[in-house]
Amino acid sequence: MSPQCTVRTGTLVGVQTVPVDVEVEVGPGLPSFTIVGLADTAVQEARERVRAAIRAAGFDMPNARVVVNLAPGPLRKHGTGFDLPIAVGLLAATRQIPHSVRTGSTAVGELSLDGTLRPVPGMLAFAMWCRDTETTLIGPDVVATNVAIPGLDYRAIRGLATLKNGLPAPAPESALTRGERAEECDFADVAGQDGVIRALTTAAAGGHNVLLVGPPGSGKTMLARRVPSILPNLSDEEILDTALVHSVSGHDESHVLAGQRPFRAPHHSASVAGLIGGGSPPRPGEVSLAHNGVLFLDEMPEFGPAALQSLRQPLEDGVVSLIRAEGRLRFPARFSLIGAANPCPCGYLGEPSGRCTCTPSIIQRYRGRIGGPVLDRIDMQCHVGRPDPKELVNAGKGTPSAVLRDIVQAARERADARGLGPTARLAGATLISACSMCDATLRELQHLARAQMLTGRGVTRLLRVARTLADLDDADTVGLDQLHEAMSYREPA
Amino acid sequence: MEDRFELVRGTADYPEILEMTPSPPAVLYGRGDPAGLRPGLAIIGARRATPTGIDVTSTLASWAASAGYVIVSGGAYGCDQAAHRGALSVLGVTVAVLGCGADVAYPASARALFDEIVMGHGVVVSEHPWGTRPQPWMFRKRNRIIAGLAAAVLVVEAGLPSGTFSTADAALAAGRTVLAVPGSVLSPHSRGSNRLIREGAIPVTDASDLRDELAGLLGPPRDALTPCEHVGGERSRDPVLSAIRATPGRPDDVARDLGTDVVSVIRALGRLERENLVARHYDGTYHATAPR
Repeated sequence: MSPQCTVRTGTLVGVQTVPVDVEVEVGPGLPSFTIVGLADTAVQEARERVRAAIRAAGFDMPNARVVVNLAPGPLRKHGTGFDLPIAVGLLAATRQIPHSVRTGSTAVGELSLDGTLRPVPGMLAFAMWCRDTETTLIGPDVVATNVAIPGLDYRAIRGLATLKNGLPAPAPESALTRGERAEECDFADVAGQDGVIRALTTAAAGGHNVLLVGPPGSGKTMLARRVPSILPNLSDEEILDTALVHSVSGHDESHVLAGQRPFRAPHHSASVAGLIGGGSPPRPGEVSLAHNGVLFLDEMPEFGPAALQSLRQPLEDGVVSLIRAEGRLRFPARFSLIGAANPCPCGYLGEPSGRCTCTPSIIQRYRGRIGGPVLDRIDMQCHVGRPDPKELVNAGKGTPSAVLRDIVQAARERADARGLGPTARLAGATLISACSMCDATLRELQHLARAQMLTGRGVTRLLRVARTLADLDDADTVGLDQLHEAMSYREPA
Repeated sequence: MEDRFELVRGTADYPEILEMTPSPPAVLYGRGDPAGLRPGLAIIGARRATPTGIDVTSTLASWAASAGYVIVSGGAYGCDQAAHRGALSVLGVTVAVLGCGADVAYPASARALFDEIVMGHGVVVSEHPWGTRPQPWMFRKRNRIIAGLAAAVLVVEAGLPSGTFSTADAALAAGRTVLAVPGSVLSPHSRGSNRLIREGAIPVTDASDLRDELAGLLGPPRDALTPCEHVGGERSRDPVLSAIRATPGRPDDVARDLGTDVVSVIRALGRLERENLVARHYDGTYHATAPR
């Protein structure tokens, strides 16, 4: 029987790792190198990289007929991570490295022509799969810090040559080391926007989505960028979930691993696939990259209607389900949405200069572009005005983000203690009972609903915000104060 | 289509008051009850009015309409529509003069309002034949009919420059009285009306001002005009309300002027909005309204 060897590796389907067996047979016949098993172009090109890397590392490329089979056969394989398992299989089959190298381990990595190993997107996904299945992961040493998750046996190798003497010793097991959160943006730098900061604090505390409306230059982007700094610290599990998405889409996940919440601000020309995920192979979109963080949509009415409507599912469920020929993929997408819009197409509505030339019907059409179904999922609207120039001298004297974060954290703990899930998702009878309003407050609510012609959803949004305001006040019941304040975060009539 | 009528100049039904203007229309096409085309009070103002402007317009219109005077205005967003709504709220008679055909709903969202005017013994009229589509130049020309059908023209809120001025000019050319509601010297939305006052328009600040002028021009009121005094209501002890009445603004502005924290200002404004004492504009500023 001709020499054979099987090496375990994996391929990514969405953010999941699916195990793949790389079977290498070195048999008699004309010298050739064939890869079978639904491999895409990048995998086919592994032949040239493997051949060169084996020679460069000082091994011999067998002068025989080499067949590589990637099993299971029907699964589409893509990417360059198969270089290392193919090379390991080939070297083990020809007894140039000990067979023990491959037993019980999973190998992932791209080879360069000189035999050194490069990382591939999704190393963290492979690491988490290996941790869960208690196998050893062999991979490049340059990503050692990014895949250092507790309970994982990671063997970092510089290149193929390292394997001559068998596997290196495991890296010392490390806990997730989180430095102090070093946020670059702080609310302390913002002057004269206390009203908006109050709204954003409320949104952060209750997980509410919020739309900022204001003229250009009023600081909408600047304010939104600071929201991650007042969100509570990520838990270890959240860190891994979030970093996983960044890892499989080839983004640098080190910031997330350091405990920073993601802030994603896609341009308004973003496509549906770019926003919610897609492509071939399907990759996570911006909503998933914003998982456990903030998705900021600047110039929200300028986004394509299809792109905006595609946000409905992730806003509702916290996940994106993509149905593709290969099957159904799920990407996590639990994010806080912050939208920004100008008050009118020219942006100058309400300025004392009277520069605005938009007619009421144009303004209405512009506002209508976001669309009711998405607006229904935005609990709060807030106006951002240009701050008074007198206030700018007070920059740096505002409330620091760390203080606001403690307030948010306290309110969230209060909401969690109810055990009803995030306030922004409460509805119906649960919401009413969570608010535990007295008769006078209930009457006021009924009056507001009638006078302001609130719909059922309108009342729900009002109460959710009021409930969060009561949490910020450390109050068990929603009172008139909270109700009246919540009123001011509605869209104006 | 039985509610339609056409009045030709020179016939008995043609409104007499229009004959006394520099260039009366040859034919008036209208829907509704032609008896509504008696001398009235024109109430006009900007399309992009502030909540205060909208509110003052409808309050003054409802006062005058409940005293039995006919209200005349255009069909545009903002002050025009607010004037009709104010009159309709007290079942008064109101006349909408359109720049397009009298059976064309422009702006389209005003269709229901025009139907309501017709059903309430009011009139929707135009000098253009049935079905005429709106053109920009028609509206300036139409303004002379608004002024012509009225004994007095009341300008509520007008900025500078403003189309409202062409109606005021037409009113002067036809020898009508021009009244104006003064506004804050800081408000760009009132710059035009304040200027009219400086140039000789009669300021209207409360019900008795309006009653005295209308009684002199159109005869005594049917009912005693609601003795409700000042448009702005009683003096208030609430510092937030006083601040908004003095200068419309955002919660941050008010908090800075009063030296308090922004949360208590937001809450106070929410309560005042619920009490209909202030209203939020869609640029985020709060404006005082007329109490009811």
